[in-house]
Amino acid sequence: MEILAVVLLAGLVAGYLVLAGCDIGLGMLMPYAARTGTERRRAVSAMAPYFLGSEVWLLGAVGVAMGLLPELKAVVITGMWPVFVALLAGWLFRDAGLWMRGRMRARAGRAVCDMGIVGGSWTLALSWGLIVGGLLGGGAVLTPFAIACALTAAALFALRGAAFGAERLVPAAGAGEAGGREPARAAAAGPAGAGSAGVLASGGAAAPKVAGRSAETGLGGTGATGGAFPAGGEGTADNAVAADTAARATRPLARAALAAGRLAAGASVLPGGAAPDRPLTAAAVALVLLGLLAATSGLWGPRLSRHTSAAALAAVPVLVAAAVNLPVAPVPDGVSVLFWSAMAPVAPFMVLGQVWLYRMVRRPAPGPGFFA
Amino acid sequence: MFDDPLLLARVQFALTAGVHYLFVALTLGLAPFILFGQLGATVRRDDARMRAVRFWGGLYVVNYAMGVLSGLVMELQLALNWSGLSDMFGYAFGAPLAVETMGAFFVESTFLGLWIFGWDRMSRWAHLACFAVVTATAYLSAYWVLVANGFLRYPVGLRMEDGVAHVADPAALMANPSTLMAFGHVCVSALLVGSSVVIAVSAYHLAQRHDPDRMFRRGVRWGTAVFSLALLPTAAIGSMQFILYDRTPPASGLTYGPAEIAEIEAGGRAPGVFGGLGDALMMGSWALMFLIAPVLLVVWLLRRLDRWRGVLWPLVLLPFLPFGASVGGWLVRETQRQPWAVEDLLTTADAMTDMTPAMAAVSFSLFTLAFAVLATVTYVLLVRFARLGPEGGPLAPARTGGTEPGGVAEDPPVHTF
Repeated sequence: MEILAVVLLAGLVAGYLVLAGCDIGLGMLMPYAARTGTERRRAVSAMAPYFLGSEVWLLGAVGVAMGLLPELKAVVITGMWPVFVALLAGWLFRDAGLWMRGRMRARAGRAVCDMGIVGGSWTLALSWGLIVGGLLGGGAVLTPFAIACALTAAALFALRGAAFGAERLVPAAGAGEAGGREPARAAAAGPAGAGSAGVLASGGAAAPKVAGRSAETGLGGTGATGGAFPAGGEGTADNAVAADTAARATRPLARAALAAGRLAAGASVLPGGAAPDRPLTAAAVALVLLGLLAATSGLWGPRLSRHTSAAALAAVPVLVAAAVNLPVAPVPDGVSVLFWSAMAPVAPFMVLGQVWLYRMVRRPAPGPGFFA
Repeated sequence: MFDDPLLLARVQFALTAGVHYLFVALTLGLAPFILFGQLGATVRRDDARMRAVRFWGGLYVVNYAMGVLSGLVMELQLALNWSGLSDMFGYAFGAPLAVETMGAFFVESTFLGLWIFGWDRMSRWAHLACFAVVTATAYLSAYWVLVANGFLRYPVGLRMEDGVAHVADPAALMANPSTLMAFGHVCVSALLVGSSVVIAVSAYHLAQRHDPDRMFRRGVRWGTAVFSLALLPTAAIGSMQFILYDRTPPASGLTYGPAEIAEIEAGGRAPGVFGGLGDALMMGSWALMFLIAPVLLVVWLLRRLDRWRGVLWPLVLLPFLPFGASVGGWLVRETQRQPWAVEDLLTTADAMTDMTPAMAAVSFSLFTLAFAVLATVTYVLLVRFARLGPEGGPLAPARTGGTEPGGVAEDPPVHTF
């Protein structure tokens, strides 16, 4: 029965990395991509449904590790205690920043929240890298290999955030504004030059989709949509800048991730490097990961960066599971009965809720919401 | 104090658990008010009632956020500081917590997200159904956590193999008397917390003659009704738990013999002062509430519940009583178990991770500080939003143009949902 629990755990971690990669990565890039108040607000409101929906995957993973695979939990969490304390602190401050930002009236309060979001996002990304490095390296987290892993993870998360931001930092607009935005975006794309045309295709491809959807919203939705935004500003040329900045960042970030990944691969053969139990499988998965990054750093790769970055992040738990023999004991019958019988009735709600939430938030919100 | 890791770890857990429970109790207590309020608004297609739901829902969401954050710290603190507990009881204690995170919290958080983000995007019945799921899973979550907690107090359905406890009888674990009684007590006492918050916030606004959509008049009446009805069951179910006080748990004797148990207990009982303090806090607060409820009912009969400032102003302080009683109750329950982490099976000292004093001090100061800051900010925000009323709440409808202070937004979004 333990294979079921391991698959569930790996699925939860992969789901967490793919979904949380969006909001963690965008949080890391916030000082770079979202500079004005409006852009910050839009970035936070893009992250909000994702962080709320994705952190339950991680809590679910911790729960499964605690309840079904206690040996694994003992080795992983107790063995890397300081990293997990840092992870927890980063998570705490990041979540606090996200929850509180919309509640702050003073500029200083929002700045403190932004610090929490950005610092927390970086802490989370680096800690996850250290944990992966520690798992692959047999528990030691202060080795060149683990540090290279942390850098790779940071670049991977940032890449995911940039791909996400290219799509979601495009302003939501009412029906009247939707038609006017595409020329504006083309104008914004113009000065960037021919060299980055491939990069911009990723941001540009997202625009008609969003425009179409917001036109729907404007027609079928609230009468308040048009007036929900303060006068002017939204939907004009300078407001698509954040999305373009993020789109343009995907290729350099993919290159950085590739370079850091190569560094990690190099450091893995040094003393204190990786100690995989199945080196060949590990190398194969690592090659897939690096291949995805290499594809993203090419001329046309960034266009698919949303998918390649998701696949690259999902490859990380697979890499760990493939490379190392983690301590997993068979799950006793009593616990299996308790867990699976309690889970069976709620599982449909879990799937329904998650699918519904992410389908719903594909449309930009009609007006200022709870988080921003 | 800073050279004893055990004491630090215990105080750290007590502080985080106590603060966590304050948020949990308000979540559990407020959810039924919002659910039934939204049901009324949905059935009647009433925009005014829906604005009240937005107001109370805003308080609920701010409170829920801190509940999640503190719950997170609790769960990871168990893994970090109390690994001895999961080494031996990883399955029996960890499985209910796993079900809680996966089966209850996962669904609760997802559907609360749907409720917040779907306000103007889904049909009104679907929106109501989302909050019904949130309410149900909030209580389900409380039940599973109490399965784990009740197991510590009264271990049942166990089998020991190689020093690791296995679940021999899942049904016995789920029907643990300690769990069921604590769950009943938590449910009704959470209603006390929720109703007293509703009463206090309504009283504050009524005393200032501020009652948009008559929402606070309804609030103080519903609050008073629930408050009065929940008082006696709280005490009754609470005192039922005394029958377990001296009963030896069925799993006793699996790790220690009776002589060893007596010896350990003789050496390490918690100082009676904590239990006594908790008892006094809980019983004293309850007695005061028991005196206040008839006064409220009489004033209601005289039709002055929404008018007499002499009654309304003191009511603003009402939530201190059930909150204090809740903390006192947990103090009693948790100190009474000492020196055991799991009654008769594992001592608290053995349950702790092998930490150096420095590690314990770092963990203690980091998380206590973070908790103090976050809890303070959350309560400041809760009080601020409660005082602002429905116009300024976090879920308040977006204003269009410059509405005058106190005015209602021009486009109440209720009809669009």
